[in-house]
Amino acid sequence: MTPRNAVIAGYARSPFHLAGKGALARVRPDDLAAQVIAGLIRNTGVDPRDVEDVILGCAFPEGEQGMNVARLVTLIADLPLSIGAMTVNRFCGSSMSAVHMAVGQIAIGAGDVYLCGGVESMSRIPLAGFNPLPNPALMKARPGAYMGMGDTAENVATQFHVDRATQEAFAVASHRKAGVARSEGRFTDEIIPVQTRNGTVDQDGTIRPETTADILAQLKPAFAANGSVTAGTSSPLTDGASAVLMTSEDYARAHGLPILGRIRSVAVAGCAPEIMGIGPVSATRKLLERAGLSIDDVDVIELNEAFASQAIACANELGLDAAKINMDGGALALGHPLGATGARIVGKAASLLQRQGARYAVATQCVGGGQGIATLIEAI
Amino acid sequence: MTGINKVCVIGAGTMGAGIAAQVANAGVPVLLLDRAADNGENRNAIAQAAIASMLKASPSPFMTAASAKMVEAGNIEDDLARIAECDWIVEAVTERIDVKQALYARIDSLHVPGSAISSNTSTIPLARLIEGRSDSFATAFLITHFFNPPRHMRLMELVAGPRTQPAVAARVENFIDRQLGKSVVRAKDSPGFIANRIGAFWLLTAVNAALDLDITIEEADAIGGRPMGIPATGIFGLLDLIGIDLLPLLRDSMQALLPPSDPFHAAIRPLPIIETMLAAGTIGKKSKGGFYRINREKGKSREAIDLTTGLYRAAIKPGPVAADLRSLIAGRDKQGAFAWAVLGQTLAYAASLVPEAADDIVAIDRAMKLGYNWKYGPFELIDRIGPASFTARLHAEGAHVPAFLAAAGDRRFYQGVDDELRHFGIDGTYHTIARPDGMLSLEDVKRTSRPLLQNAAATLWDIGDGIACFEFTSKVNAIDMATLALLDQSITLVAERMKAIVIYSDAANFSAGANLDTAVKAIDAGDWDAIEHLLGEGQRVFKAMKYAPFPVVGAPAGLALGGACELLLHADAIQAHAETYIGLVECGVGIIPGWGGCGELLHRWTAFGDLPRGPLPVVARAFEIISTATVSKSAAHARELRFLAPSDGITMNRDRLLFDAKAKAIALVENYAAPLPPTFRLPGPSGHCALTMAAEGFHRRGMATDYDLVVSDALSQVITGGEKDIMDVISETDMLALERRSFMQRVRDPRTRMRIAAMLETGKPVRN
Repeated sequence: MTPRNAVIAGYARSPFHLAGKGALARVRPDDLAAQVIAGLIRNTGVDPRDVEDVILGCAFPEGEQGMNVARLVTLIADLPLSIGAMTVNRFCGSSMSAVHMAVGQIAIGAGDVYLCGGVESMSRIPLAGFNPLPNPALMKARPGAYMGMGDTAENVATQFHVDRATQEAFAVASHRKAGVARSEGRFTDEIIPVQTRNGTVDQDGTIRPETTADILAQLKPAFAANGSVTAGTSSPLTDGASAVLMTSEDYARAHGLPILGRIRSVAVAGCAPEIMGIGPVSATRKLLERAGLSIDDVDVIELNEAFASQAIACANELGLDAAKINMDGGALALGHPLGATGARIVGKAASLLQRQGARYAVATQCVGGGQGIATLIEAI
Repeated sequence: MTGINKVCVIGAGTMGAGIAAQVANAGVPVLLLDRAADNGENRNAIAQAAIASMLKASPSPFMTAASAKMVEAGNIEDDLARIAECDWIVEAVTERIDVKQALYARIDSLHVPGSAISSNTSTIPLARLIEGRSDSFATAFLITHFFNPPRHMRLMELVAGPRTQPAVAARVENFIDRQLGKSVVRAKDSPGFIANRIGAFWLLTAVNAALDLDITIEEADAIGGRPMGIPATGIFGLLDLIGIDLLPLLRDSMQALLPPSDPFHAAIRPLPIIETMLAAGTIGKKSKGGFYRINREKGKSREAIDLTTGLYRAAIKPGPVAADLRSLIAGRDKQGAFAWAVLGQTLAYAASLVPEAADDIVAIDRAMKLGYNWKYGPFELIDRIGPASFTARLHAEGAHVPAFLAAAGDRRFYQGVDDELRHFGIDGTYHTIARPDGMLSLEDVKRTSRPLLQNAAATLWDIGDGIACFEFTSKVNAIDMATLALLDQSITLVAERMKAIVIYSDAANFSAGANLDTAVKAIDAGDWDAIEHLLGEGQRVFKAMKYAPFPVVGAPAGLALGGACELLLHADAIQAHAETYIGLVECGVGIIPGWGGCGELLHRWTAFGDLPRGPLPVVARAFEIISTATVSKSAAHARELRFLAPSDGITMNRDRLLFDAKAKAIALVENYAAPLPPTFRLPGPSGHCALTMAAEGFHRRGMATDYDLVVSDALSQVITGGEKDIMDVISETDMLALERRSFMQRVRDPRTRMRIAAMLETGKPVRN
């Protein structure tokens, strides 16, 4: 059997809003994801009866995003009952894993059309869930297993010599890029307006293009009294959902769907949990090696900004060109709804390939507990 | 007479916004209007900003953040017609008669008969305010003069004019009394009403006397404060607190409104020192300094103004002052001269205001006690001095003796006869002081009955209808072995002969908790057995009270901390005054709640917590509240913290607390069954891990000290169930044993002793 190519044939996301006081705080995550999935189907015109499976990532799949939320979302969206659905969890890498799983399934001929995405309401389901109950023995043997993400960001800052001012300059740039992208209407195509009890929400809520290094310099360290990481250099707690339409290349061509890019290779890699933010380095190296490419061959890079410190450390380690990274801003500005980010940066990277007329794009992110995940997309 | 279901407050300045907040605190919707904002699209911006700023203030005028949702912002231009929705319209705009009258003309045309209209004016006579208004307006109009801040100041002076419908005034009075919790004093329509007229006279007289007698401000406050039953801020400290800029305003309006014959004018003279301070912007606590200031450049040292030079100098500690009022004013030194100059003139002035400012002395005394926090009113002070000698001294010095004072002669202004307390009236006879419906005073009970039980720390009273009242009587109402012993005896007595217990104190604060003084002595003596015995007795007696065959109602007001909070958590019900500050603060002094508080709070969060399911949320919430020694900012906030259960009651008016608590006890008597002991399912070591991670995070961020970590670990051990597995069912007795173990470990730690000692010395927790 010859493996079949999997392509990205559409990308959509909800607006992203600050958890707790943002415009989506009172929206259930299952309702949010259902609106995005329905919106993506509407935008692409794909026939939902052809969908094999809906794969949704979620980092804390409990409460309103518990059970098998993917299946509930297909029912809320009133999709044909013939479609399957599963929820996957790789923390922040969840929805990128959803894409990877579809790629594998398509490759072996297990269906032609997959809806892959993710959702996280960090307003309604707390980070670490409602009932975090660490294993006392593991906690003792390997405290990093449960280490807070902010603490790992501090570790990366120290170990990879990323000072506070550099982090703040990076965050300011992220907000500035996102602000420009928004004002030029570059998010309009990807955002699915979300209906809430208080009206329609169609704009992101966390971008602060007016922020400056001076403003950020006034913030107190958020995780360690003498640390360098602040709320301004950490991605905000965010509510949001995202989805990409994954199909076989043959299906896309037969049905006249736009092909944003073909998945050329994928990779995951583990690392020490205490410095989980460095995960993208080994994952990206593995990814490029599999494709026989070097980083210089890549023109578009979506490097998730969980924290400025880890994004900068990864960029430095991988020798990335700053101009290629996160052209429309990253998670520091847009927010990081954990389960939804992976599909967002895959969809974004593919869209940017089209916009830039470039050939290769990489989407990569770090994963709590000590992992990296990466996707290489090729324009065809 | 119908109730008041919606209120409109016009004017979102300090007073208007504060009144609106208190209406919201009472759970009544309120429309707050101010001018329409000139620029920008949001025409309600001014009123909205007032609400936002109140939410940020500390202490906030709001009792909980949720109360703020009861306030709707609007503007006068667009929304004035909406006064038709409201049963009471309160005007609190700027103190200018032309502004008020112009607003009233508009209200007059929109006003719906049946609703009340009042002004919060502090000086303008009612007769002037209603000039030119319709009969419908005038009959609905009265003055409701609140004090600043409206949430915390208990006095509200009510002035009804000759045309005001008595039913309208009664309806507003009832609402302000029962729902806003203010003590309503009926004043006459005279300038400045009661409290500010006497208060301004007193302050001016005292400043004049200090200048004349060359008394330092520290001495003036030491003499003019505590010995007279006046808060320790005295005169100059009080001026700093209220704002020195207010004094000339009050003085000028009094000067303009009072007839030339009024003795007030004699107290007015140029005060260059105050003019200089106003010009320098040093107007008290709301600025960079006042008569006193903290000099941060000199290591936060306290400085005071020298009245002669007008310059700041290091604050001095005044010498000893005679504590007895009579010997103080009899003194032939400067202290005595100052004390007499202030008191003699002020009390004589107060006596001259019957019946001009109030119909009787009770109103005047209550106004000064509630409006200026005097322990005794002017007439109570004259009684303490002795009316005859007071009047004789005025005579001897050639001072004016008011007719009312002369009429009293050598008779006291108050006298207790049989069961009654009476006051001297303007007609020269005594009149019974009646308690309004719904008020019960422990003072009255004490005057007319003997204790059922009594020892050095507590007393049990019979407050009628088979209800006993357990009263703390120790210093700061601290709980020790004697308290527990009397509570134990009370349980036996009530089980035999009575129906229920109310736990209550007339004091400003319910109880500061366990007696730390005794604890530190036992620690120093290494008498761990004594400490463990006290711990065990507290556990035993509190549980005996909880499972007694009769209901127990806790009735706290003010602070109810540590052991006192634990006691309340064991009651069947709580009837709390709205201003109740309750918390399990043990961790602040290095220990954990050991009298059953951990288990009781866990149980409350389990029963009424409204938290997600699973073993951790309840435990994590209780951990957060106890480990950070969270104290509620109001009774409503205590309900959010679950120190109060949903069925517990809140009384807005402090004077009504004991009556309400007794009524609650009576309601529980019929068909009473003691509660069943709760059982717990706790997360065990896994939960302990989770809480440890959280605590360590706070420690890394510098928000918890080294010893905080140790103490919170001890707490975490208890509330996660120790070594128990998540599948085990844990009994209340198991919880008590866990508390006992963790408590005894912590109490032996020298760092705990350090914390307790610092608390006793400074009243503040030490961050070790």
